[in-house]
Amino acid sequence: MSVSASTAAAAPGALSAHRGLADRLGDRALIGLTWLASAAGMLLIALLVYKVFDQAGASLSRFGLGFVGSRTWNPVSDEFGAGDFVFGTAVSSFAALLIAAPTSIAIALFLTELSPGRIRRPVTTLVELLAAIPSVVLGLWGIIVLAPFVNNTLEPALHSALGWIPLFSGSPSPFGLIPAILILTIMTVPIVASVSREIFQTVPTELKEGALALGCTRWEMVRMVMLPYARPGIVGAVILGLGRALGEAIAVTMVIGDTASIHASLFAPADTLASRVASEYQSATTPLQISSLAYLAAILLVLALLANALARLIVGRSTRRLGASAGGRR
Amino acid sequence: MINNKMGAVAACAVLASVLAACGSSSPSTSASGSADTLVGAGSTLVAPLVSQWQPEYDKKAKVAVTYGAIGSGGGIEQITARTVDFGASDAPLSESQFKEAKEVVQIPWALAATVIAYHLEGAPNQLKLTGPLLAEIWEGKVTSWNAPAIAALNPGVTLPATKITPIHRSDGSGDTFALTNYLSQISPEWKAKIGKGTEVPFPVGVGAKGNSGVGGAISSTNGSIGYIAIAYVLANKFDYALIKNAAGNYPVPGIPSISAAAKALTTVPPDNELSIVNPPVSAPAAYPISTFTYAIVPLKSPKASTLKPFLKWAITEGQQYGPKLDFAPLPQLVVAADDATIEKIGS
Repeated sequence: MSVSASTAAAAPGALSAHRGLADRLGDRALIGLTWLASAAGMLLIALLVYKVFDQAGASLSRFGLGFVGSRTWNPVSDEFGAGDFVFGTAVSSFAALLIAAPTSIAIALFLTELSPGRIRRPVTTLVELLAAIPSVVLGLWGIIVLAPFVNNTLEPALHSALGWIPLFSGSPSPFGLIPAILILTIMTVPIVASVSREIFQTVPTELKEGALALGCTRWEMVRMVMLPYARPGIVGAVILGLGRALGEAIAVTMVIGDTASIHASLFAPADTLASRVASEYQSATTPLQISSLAYLAAILLVLALLANALARLIVGRSTRRLGASAGGRR
Repeated sequence: MINNKMGAVAACAVLASVLAACGSSSPSTSASGSADTLVGAGSTLVAPLVSQWQPEYDKKAKVAVTYGAIGSGGGIEQITARTVDFGASDAPLSESQFKEAKEVVQIPWALAATVIAYHLEGAPNQLKLTGPLLAEIWEGKVTSWNAPAIAALNPGVTLPATKITPIHRSDGSGDTFALTNYLSQISPEWKAKIGKGTEVPFPVGVGAKGNSGVGGAISSTNGSIGYIAIAYVLANKFDYALIKNAAGNYPVPGIPSISAAAKALTTVPPDNELSIVNPPVSAPAAYPISTFTYAIVPLKSPKASTLKPFLKWAITEGQQYGPKLDFAPLPQLVVAADDATIEKIGS
């Protein structure tokens, strides 16, 4: 005790001999600069949200909340409504998630449980590279490759096999909800897959080994141990993917057909909130149109912020619960 | 400890020198650049011609012209906000746009056409169509290429039973204005239901962004039909339709037929708004969807001394670069009216 006390006394003494102006300033500068950076971030969000709602003011006062459900979008007669775009956003995002979620969970399971160790690294990297593809490049690929494929192969096949369902009842079109859904799926899979992979890695090994020792097959172990344990985290990952799908503008606008309409069929062209803002904002002709586009942006902002906040809440809660229970078991 | 101090001093020195360099360079660039640049934005239809003008005018008058092809609607918006020196629009300004823009004039400075391009495997180039038929196609009433209306106009051609996919511009476009202006004049139903403008609510069809977007959509979709500026159609060798004019002829879109439409003009109104779609019977060789495109300039501009010579050059010597890009030369009547308008610009 006395030995450690004397060495402890010696160490600060050795440092404080050189404490000068630079050292004291260093601490203050660190605190000041980091405060500044954080405040700048918060200020930016506040200003952004304020400015979007401010620009939407004229349209808000003219159309009120009915705008969200109204289905007219007519620049010639100056009447606007977000109904068609809310529908397009909802359908494209949820359908993309419907396909992306099982695919991502399967990828995550493969990477954590089933793949041979040698290929784990390369496959993980490749899946995460999908997220790195710029959305404009994906949109271009969509126009050149996906659109003809959808028009000539996929939609006729769906129509002949499942044409009695209203979803697949229209006539094939190269641009519409289906190519948009496929592109959004490609964009959300990497996010959901990597978060799910992290979540699966937190499942305690003793639980998995216990199940296998009791005679479970691989599939039973996954079904009865891993999936229930990881479920809240996976839900959070999926909602994170939803946030990405909601906001995607460029890739979607290139393949969705930019038409303000609602049809029962998924083959028909449609439009989403983000895509409409991207295509019309720069060339809007009347002040009311500019304001209505800002109103669309405001609706999108609210949806995206909600999705992100919800995802953080769920993922945060589940990782804390998993961490606590894993620690408690020891 | 010494390393830390030296590092901090060195960092401050680098920062200070960078700031000093930035501070000293900015005045010099602005001083050399201010009188000799013009910034414009707008129509994608006139963009190929402006990109020919840029190097030639720089050689002649040492003025660097920058132009952003963001679409006619964008051009009108930018010149209203005075963030550019001149705007370019294929659609003449409406009453409310003139009011918003406060003291601008429009100067028709190029003459081109909007061409109906299509992609139909198994069919030849230059299918014949009429204006009312175009209206029905974009209204969604005629849905198949082998419809009786189309077959009647094209005897001897076997038309496949492919579905028609009408393609329109999703962004604000002067080509949309030219087509909808024409359709509003020849179809009262179109005028009542849809109207004319740079953005209109097309009831059916697929939207694409920019002339290049429409071009891409047409080339990748069998059975598609769209409207694009003539230069893009001829450069990319799309199949295009021949449209019946008022005299009953099917002129090939090109300089001769566009000039014939412009020759039918007899006067230029004081606001310079010229509409030459649907030319009268007295112009038998006129292409029905020809359109002037306008430069929009403020009446009072700080760059007036650079702007006026550029505009005067554009409507006279600049026109010689037009025909290669399928722009017809401006008729003398219009050049005279433009000259008078340019004189009104002051600082």
